[in-house]
Amino acid sequence: SRSEQERLLLDSCTLYVGNLSFYTTEEQIYELFSRCGDVKRVVMGLDKVNKTPCGFCFVEYYTREEAEDAMRYANGTRLDDRIVRTDWDAGFKEGRQYGRG
Amino acid sequence: KRRRTSDTVDIEDRLESLITRVGEKSTSSLESNLEGLASVLEADLPNYKLKILKILCDCVVKLPEKLTVYTTLVGLLNAKNYNCGGEFVEMLVRNLKEALKSTEFDNARIMVRFLSDLVNCHVIVVGSLLSMFDSFLEVMLEDNIPQVRSDWYVYAVLSALPWIGRELFEKKETEFNKLLITIDGYISKRQKIHVPALKVWISDFPHPQEEYLDCLWAQMKNLRQNKWVEKQILRPYLAFDGVLCEALQHTLPQIIPPSHHEDTVYPLPSIVFRLFDYTDVPEGPVLPGSHAIERYLIEEQLNRIIHTHHKERKDCSAALLSFPTKNKIPLNYMIVEVMFSQLFRLPKPPHLEIFYGSALIELCKLQPGSMPQVLAQATEMLYERLDTMHTSCIERIASWFSYHLSNFQFRWSWDDWSGCVDVDALFPKPTFVREVLYKCLRLSYHQRIVDTVPDTFSALIPEKPSSYYKYEAEGSGSLPGTMIAHQLLAAIKEKCTPEEALLVLKDLPNPLSEEENDPSYHPLRIDVFVATLFHLGSKSFSHSFAAIAKFHYVLKMIADTEDGQICLLKTLFVVWKKHQQMIVVLVDKLLKTQIIECSAVANWLFSREMSSEFPKFYVWEIMHSTINKMNKHVSKLQREVEDSKDRLEMLRRRMADGLELDPDDDDIPSDEMIERMEERMETAMSQQKSLFLIIFQRFIIILTDHLARCEGNGIDYNTPWYKWIIERLQEIFLLHHELVFKYISTLEGLLFTSDIDFHILEVFQQFCALRS
Repeated sequence: SRSEQERLLLDSCTLYVGNLSFYTTEEQIYELFSRCGDVKRVVMGLDKVNKTPCGFCFVEYYTREEAEDAMRYANGTRLDDRIVRTDWDAGFKEGRQYGRG
Repeated sequence: KRRRTSDTVDIEDRLESLITRVGEKSTSSLESNLEGLASVLEADLPNYKLKILKILCDCVVKLPEKLTVYTTLVGLLNAKNYNCGGEFVEMLVRNLKEALKSTEFDNARIMVRFLSDLVNCHVIVVGSLLSMFDSFLEVMLEDNIPQVRSDWYVYAVLSALPWIGRELFEKKETEFNKLLITIDGYISKRQKIHVPALKVWISDFPHPQEEYLDCLWAQMKNLRQNKWVEKQILRPYLAFDGVLCEALQHTLPQIIPPSHHEDTVYPLPSIVFRLFDYTDVPEGPVLPGSHAIERYLIEEQLNRIIHTHHKERKDCSAALLSFPTKNKIPLNYMIVEVMFSQLFRLPKPPHLEIFYGSALIELCKLQPGSMPQVLAQATEMLYERLDTMHTSCIERIASWFSYHLSNFQFRWSWDDWSGCVDVDALFPKPTFVREVLYKCLRLSYHQRIVDTVPDTFSALIPEKPSSYYKYEAEGSGSLPGTMIAHQLLAAIKEKCTPEEALLVLKDLPNPLSEEENDPSYHPLRIDVFVATLFHLGSKSFSHSFAAIAKFHYVLKMIADTEDGQICLLKTLFVVWKKHQQMIVVLVDKLLKTQIIECSAVANWLFSREMSSEFPKFYVWEIMHSTINKMNKHVSKLQREVEDSKDRLEMLRRRMADGLELDPDDDDIPSDEMIERMEERMETAMSQQKSLFLIIFQRFIIILTDHLARCEGNGIDYNTPWYKWIIERLQEIFLLHHELVFKYISTLEGLLFTSDIDFHILEVFQQFCALRS
């Protein structure tokens, strides 16, 4: 439900990261986002058909505070010359890494 | 208690908004706003006095940049209503005593300053303020107290003097002089063993790195020479002199500093960071000298703005750039200097390092015509002064600069730095450039770096990250494990189970068996398995993590002793030697999955195989993250024990009150459970202690070895290698000072004894002095 979704967002330690270049790697994501806190995992967004990166990913931290710091400091700065956009995500679930092909 | 009706809430909210916003930009003058607000508040006093006083007290600590606006407002209120003024003073004094007791020292300092300025507003009798100062300064005479305690009380008095110095000079000259003589005596007698541990630069050229109290005292002496007249503080009460003069004043009650306790933690001393002087500012307003009180006042306010807005980098940059007296000072220079002073602060910066990077980018966006130039000039100057800069600070600039470059297409006047390739590669400048390029590589990709920097830098450009699998390399046929490695490779590709993988490894002979009866680990088995596994997972972090997850059981089995774990790490290094970030991330993962222990990582980093890597920054990235992981683990267990005890306590209380228990509630900890948790916590704490002991001991060994070898060969010990390593030792002390302080007596008795080399002992003594 909607309120359930909102509650999840408020406690979430996961960010959706968008506007990435298709060539940006997991390594680069780690480098930038580790500067804001201890990264638990990165899940690259993949094209449904070709299974290649398609410009977004999920970054999960161990704590809410670390994720908040990433929202404050990494959001809106550049990686691979593109301004990365971060947003709260209710938490990654298998299957969500596939974008629309 | 009476219920608050919504009307009351509305009015209270409105009062709060009116009070907190006074002094902000407005169409009418500050004086008329203050006058108007004072009348509104006067009218509301009969019904809302307590609320009004509370809001004002909040403003004291939360909006210190508007201190004189609020002292004037309190002055006007006091002139209208003497009792109200008295109650405000009482409340603030109560808050001050509370802040001193609960060691909220910075808030306490601001309250002292506020009380001082209330003398200017004719709310407080000048003599009673002097008595408070005197009782603060009496702390100097106490026996057996750490210097940081008396330092703070002196600092609290000094930092109020720019506001009240003139009044004291005019009204109480004799007493004031006596007070200044007392402070002078104190300043000249202070111990300063701690200073070298906090300096950003070892050298005092071109600017001395002064201790904060020394610097403030020098600024104060200048202010005194100027007859206590400064040019920075806004003083709105001057306009109301006629009204305020008529008001009756209150006497401050006696304020006696709470006595010292062993576990009171006072603010650490600091040094004053200076990057620029007036000659660095090409045009426009002149930069105040380092001993001008204006420099202190502006810096303090800029630091405050950063503190207030650090969670919103855009607001922070905007607030910095709209500094009240921006037209009278070279603001961009002062902002850049203050930002770097925080970034370089030892032991650690007040905020996350990336905050400074992202705020500097924001500042460049808001002032594209001037800020980038100032920042470039600062970077150039920092580069020029690298040779004497502390290792921790060099690392922080490298990290910041790579991030900054990555936001500006890696454009930089690289050619200006090409001279660094001509000196020993371990010197600070080439090391810095190499580390910047490594960091840039991590934020981009290899070809980008090659294309960005001129060819002259080729020696410093990191190699293209790649893995190395020795069992498929040329000449691997003659290696003892190659056959099994190839079998394993095939088995894993065929999706074998961990048990099946172990079977493949079973027949490998243990090279250690020839010398030992029952070797504690099997180096060949570890090497074959770990090299093969990481080789197969080499495509990305995710692939490697998946490989570790799938074969967690095997890794645990083959590396079940510390020697085995160190061997595992050595293999990892051989595979990923050309990919520092991969090593960092994999060690992290191996620790988190509890395949290896923290002490194994520390011992591995100090091993002979890693000695060529030792000065490189990623080694220290691993070292600190390993220590941090240990610390986090301990505090998590400590928290769990506390929580369970609390829960049990609450339960007992409820039972005593006759409340029924839910038998199905399995959240209730039993005494045995708590006991077990405590055991786990104690084990972790002893591991933490031994981790620090291992690290310090290994430092002492390699440094002693170096010093002895140099003495034996009759050469200067102070080599670039020595600089990197001794400063890393210092860094371990500083970054983890809260914990290391707990082990001070063990360290003193066991490791840092008087028979070790003085150069090493000195680092320990400087560290101890930070809190003494």
